[in-house]
Amino acid sequence: MTGSGTSEREQNFPALLERLRPECEQLVARYERKRSALLPICHLFQLHEGFVSKEAMRAAASMLDLTPAEVEGTVSFYTLFFRRPVGKYVLQVCRGLACSINGAEDLMAYFREKLGVGHLQTTADGTFSYEEVECLAACDRATCMQVNLEFVYDLTPQKIDEMLAAMRAGTYATSPMAQTEAPAATWSVPQDDQVATGRKSSGALGQPSPNNAGGVGDESGIIMLDRILAGDVGFYERTSERAVRDSRAVTEVVEAEKNGGNGASH
Amino acid sequence: MAQVTKVLTAGIGEANLRDIGVYRERGGYKQWQRAIRELQPADVLDLCDKSGLRGRGGAGFPTGRKWQFLPKDKALRYLVCNCDEAEPGTFKDHMLLEEAPHLVLEGILLGSYAIACHHAYIYIRGEFKRGYEIFCAAIEEARAAGYLGKNVFGSEFDIEVTAHRGAGAYICGEETALLNSLEGKRGEPRLKPPFPAVAGLYGAPTVVNNVETLAYLVPILEKGAQWFAAVGTERSKGYKIISISGHVQKPGNYEVPLGTTVRELIDIAGGLRPGRTLAAVQPGGGSSACIFEEHLDLPYDYENMAKAGSMLGSGAFVVFDDTTDFVKAAHNLVRFFAHESCGQCTPCREGGHWMERVLERLVHNRGVPGDLEMLDRVSATITGINLCPLGDSIEPFLKSVLRRFHDQFAERILREETLPA
Ligand SMILES: Cc1cc2nc3c(=O)[nH]c(=O)nc-3n(C[C@H](O)[C@H](O)[C@H](O)COP(=O)(O)O)c2cc1C
Ligand code: SF4
Ligand code: FES
Repeated sequence: MTGSGTSEREQNFPALLERLRPECEQLVARYERKRSALLPICHLFQLHEGFVSKEAMRAAASMLDLTPAEVEGTVSFYTLFFRRPVGKYVLQVCRGLACSINGAEDLMAYFREKLGVGHLQTTADGTFSYEEVECLAACDRATCMQVNLEFVYDLTPQKIDEMLAAMRAGTYATSPMAQTEAPAATWSVPQDDQVATGRKSSGALGQPSPNNAGGVGDESGIIMLDRILAGDVGFYERTSERAVRDSRAVTEVVEAEKNGGNGASH
Repeated sequence: MAQVTKVLTAGIGEANLRDIGVYRERGGYKQWQRAIRELQPADVLDLCDKSGLRGRGGAGFPTGRKWQFLPKDKALRYLVCNCDEAEPGTFKDHMLLEEAPHLVLEGILLGSYAIACHHAYIYIRGEFKRGYEIFCAAIEEARAAGYLGKNVFGSEFDIEVTAHRGAGAYICGEETALLNSLEGKRGEPRLKPPFPAVAGLYGAPTVVNNVETLAYLVPILEKGAQWFAAVGTERSKGYKIISISGHVQKPGNYEVPLGTTVRELIDIAGGLRPGRTLAAVQPGGGSSACIFEEHLDLPYDYENMAKAGSMLGSGAFVVFDDTTDFVKAAHNLVRFFAHESCGQCTPCREGGHWMERVLERLVHNRGVPGDLEMLDRVSATITGINLCPLGDSIEPFLKSVLRRFHDQFAERILREETLPA
């Protein structure tokens, strides 16, 4: 994973960055404060790279005058941002209550059996990432799912078979995600017996909680450890300095309010 | 049988309301033009206040009152439309966003005018990628038509609307978490006070309103405050879109006058499946307690749901018939809250996971003696001592079904002789 040499994706990154820079600048211009553009910029990079890479986070940091650690700290909060490569089709099946009482558990078991992977795992060929997600706000059309964020409603085993076949054949209506790097084998999360036998929906044992954010197969601690082991501590520079500054900014607003809105002094 | 009305839902499923031309033919943007040409901001605020409109996002706070909290002496203020819809069982904002984007936009414009805001934001749930694209297109169509931008309709009024897409986090629906997320930060709720009306987005006074709340401004301006205030019950005025799902034959969004009875709502959604009987209804989203058979004739409004020990919330109405396994259902919702906890408060973060694990044992028939008492104790302990309402949302459903369907829980406990050594 952290092996020597740079991947093709890393080599292509500077060119990608230059290509996307104007769009990033437009995104920044939509807001009154730069930092607000962080989520949109990460969405943009994920669209092009298939995940929010370390390089993308660094680039976002420098565009928005943040530290890379602030960027990663934010990105890791959100489940739709992937910080490692994922499958070409991210299958997110609703495990919400309305879907669940309408048969979602059987369909999830069917998915796991057909794909050979469980919740938060990616198939070895890198085609599918599978995740069981919370209510998708389409409960009237239970059971439902999203494929690369496009809705699929009223699921049946037959529909699932057709869908997976079309994806494997490359004829599925929703286009695959960009995949600039193969998902690593370490995505696998150990499953317990009941998951393996397909009767239980919460399969990801050993997931860091409570914020299991970071999307399909997140292992926040491990990702950070990787960086530190690779001597990439620079990624976390200036963090404490920023932390002090940020909290001061908040106190200033509150203080200013108390003093009848005399602007904050710096 | 009670009637389904079509106010916000008028034309949905019949006409392509995403097209600004179609929307305009049906009277769209007329109220916006009238507001700018003929009304003062205070008039719009007054209409909203008199209509009795209450927030449709969950808390049911009177909208006009909320706007009046903005400090008078500050010119910079923001309106943020909350389209992060992720409360389990709610799917009305999703529909409005995708099917009637111009109606939502016109509502945002009217709300902005009422509070004299010049830059409004709409926070769209990350999963609604399609909805986000539709809404961005609607903004551009409206801009091309001169409905937003500088000097709208030749007036002095400038207004910009920016759509912002989240990235997966239920907690970002909570208004202060939403503001943090909109500022490009982790979506963690802020300590209140200061309330957003005092220090919200970028520290400026801010109003956060739900999609449906703002959309109702359009018909209220068109038909008058009296028209809205004349329907509903004493303190719950007007219409509401109810998202009905679960064990009914025709799940869907139904717009009804507040005060329609629980029984009528079930009938409107096609009733139960043949041969089934009702076990429970969860009337206000994943955070609400269940109501039962004895509540069937209650009017569905804010007061009566509260009296029945539950709440109306966002209008998510989930029906459970006698096939429901309530241990699984409780596990499902507790797992939801545990998963979505932002982790700032220890009771919410740790308690949720603790209860999830106990319930998981029960789901697999491996409960140990004392588990039910533990659930009771933990849920009561963690309630009321958190930063935001999420932590207090874990208990209601569990508690209500644990009381009512105690046997379903009790039979999942291993007996002494079968306990592992
Ligand atoms: C955990 C949590 C999630 C929430 N999610 C939403 C949501 O998805 N949409 C929404 O409009 N309000 C949501 N709310 C309520 C908002 O905090 C806020 O009260 C509401 O947007 C105000 O709008 P209204 O006055 O028009 O109802 C949520 C509140 C909490 C505590
Ligand atoms: S109650 Fe839960 S979700 Fe709300 S702030 Fe605390 S930890 Fe976060
Ligand atoms: S429970 Fe599946 S969409 Fe709501």
